[in-house]
Amino acid sequence: MDTQWPRYEVFEKERPDWPHRNAGSVHAPDGEMALLNARDVFVRRPNCLSLWVVPSDQVFSKTIQELAEDDSWWSAPADASAAVEKYLAFQKQGQRAGETFVIHAGEVEARSLAEAMSRALETFSHENVFVWWVCPDRTVTKSEADDAPSMFEPAHSKTYRQPNTYRVVTQMQQLKTGLALIGEEEE
Amino acid sequence: MRPDVERAVAAQLLAMADDELILGHRDSEWTGHAPILEEDIALSNIAQDELGHAILWHNLRKEVTGDEPDVVVFWRDAQAYRSVQLVELPKGDYAFTIVRQYLFDAAEMARLTRLAGSGYRPIAEAAAKIRTEEIYHVRHTSAWMKRLGLGTEESHRRTQTALDELWTFALQLFVPLPDETLLVAAGVVPNADEVQAAWEETVAPFLRHAGLIVPRTRPPIALSREQHTQHLAALLAEMQEVARLEGPEVKW
Repeated sequence: MDTQWPRYEVFEKERPDWPHRNAGSVHAPDGEMALLNARDVFVRRPNCLSLWVVPSDQVFSKTIQELAEDDSWWSAPADASAAVEKYLAFQKQGQRAGETFVIHAGEVEARSLAEAMSRALETFSHENVFVWWVCPDRTVTKSEADDAPSMFEPAHSKTYRQPNTYRVVTQMQQLKTGLALIGEEEE
Repeated sequence: MRPDVERAVAAQLLAMADDELILGHRDSEWTGHAPILEEDIALSNIAQDELGHAILWHNLRKEVTGDEPDVVVFWRDAQAYRSVQLVELPKGDYAFTIVRQYLFDAAEMARLTRLAGSGYRPIAEAAAKIRTEEIYHVRHTSAWMKRLGLGTEESHRRTQTALDELWTFALQLFVPLPDETLLVAAGVVPNADEVQAAWEETVAPFLRHAGLIVPRTRPPIALSREQHTQHLAALLAEMQEVARLEGPEVKW
């Protein structure tokens, strides 16, 4: 039995002039819990200004290879009577290890995920992009501006100590070194 | 400050620090054992926050008494602790932990909101700082209370059971300390009745909203913080074990 909750993609904005960027994912029973879990898992120490979470199954994703090899995803046109709504578009950019990020490119108006993908491909630059994501804006749970003092700002006043700054670690290393020396003497 | 007021301030700070420390320790017992990974991390964060608050209160107390926090925490026996029995109880099931944390967080919010206006400035400043984190704790525990209270038949049953058991324990949070009248008169702390009324005004409608029955108000489980459960000594034995292996002079 799968006991996991549904997966949510987490997007974090770290600087006013930076777009929201995919930080990873969390499991949660609903959007509000996903937002809280995202805060606890991803943003306790670094700077964070805003968080978004979206159910992973609401994300429509295409790699550039998939787009080049197969256009069947577009074969079912959007229901003409469906309401136009806002979609968020994201791009995975960069290829080098450690420099691969899914970042928020902007918004498009569409009647379906496929139409939103198509609009995103028309609207945004393809430079250095190798994966495209779109999701309906209404499925995204976002932190509010007035959440910042309780969700993000306490992290600023916390000292983040690397494990090697704790004296106990240093002492244990000395102890180990000491034991190793004793071992050598005995040989 | 008058010496009697100063002693009362130190007692107040010790009570608040002990509650935070012991609750933080109980919460930390879930680290690696919570029902789901994300919740494990979330509760570990809350545990760390509570320990952080304990350190803040201990550091303020040190300014008054000169007592080193590490010595006070690791070299004091159960009978010298001034924690309420609520925080001493074993962690129970997850509903029990969440209900305890919710009742405590809501009481903290009521108290800290008022302490932020304390006439004793170090307490006012620390309270304002702690309060921002408590807003998040309340949000997390409230979210869980609603989901457990309104979730399945089992989650509702476990949550109501925990609430019924913990209610009289929670009420001990509002029992005035022996010299509290001095502090109220000096404008250092709010009146305990006022804090309790504010707590009940928040908690009662919220619990009903979460599908739970608010227990009828009964006397608090204890009227003195000198009375402890049997669980405190066992908790301290474990918490203090490493420090006491080495002696108080060892540097970590």
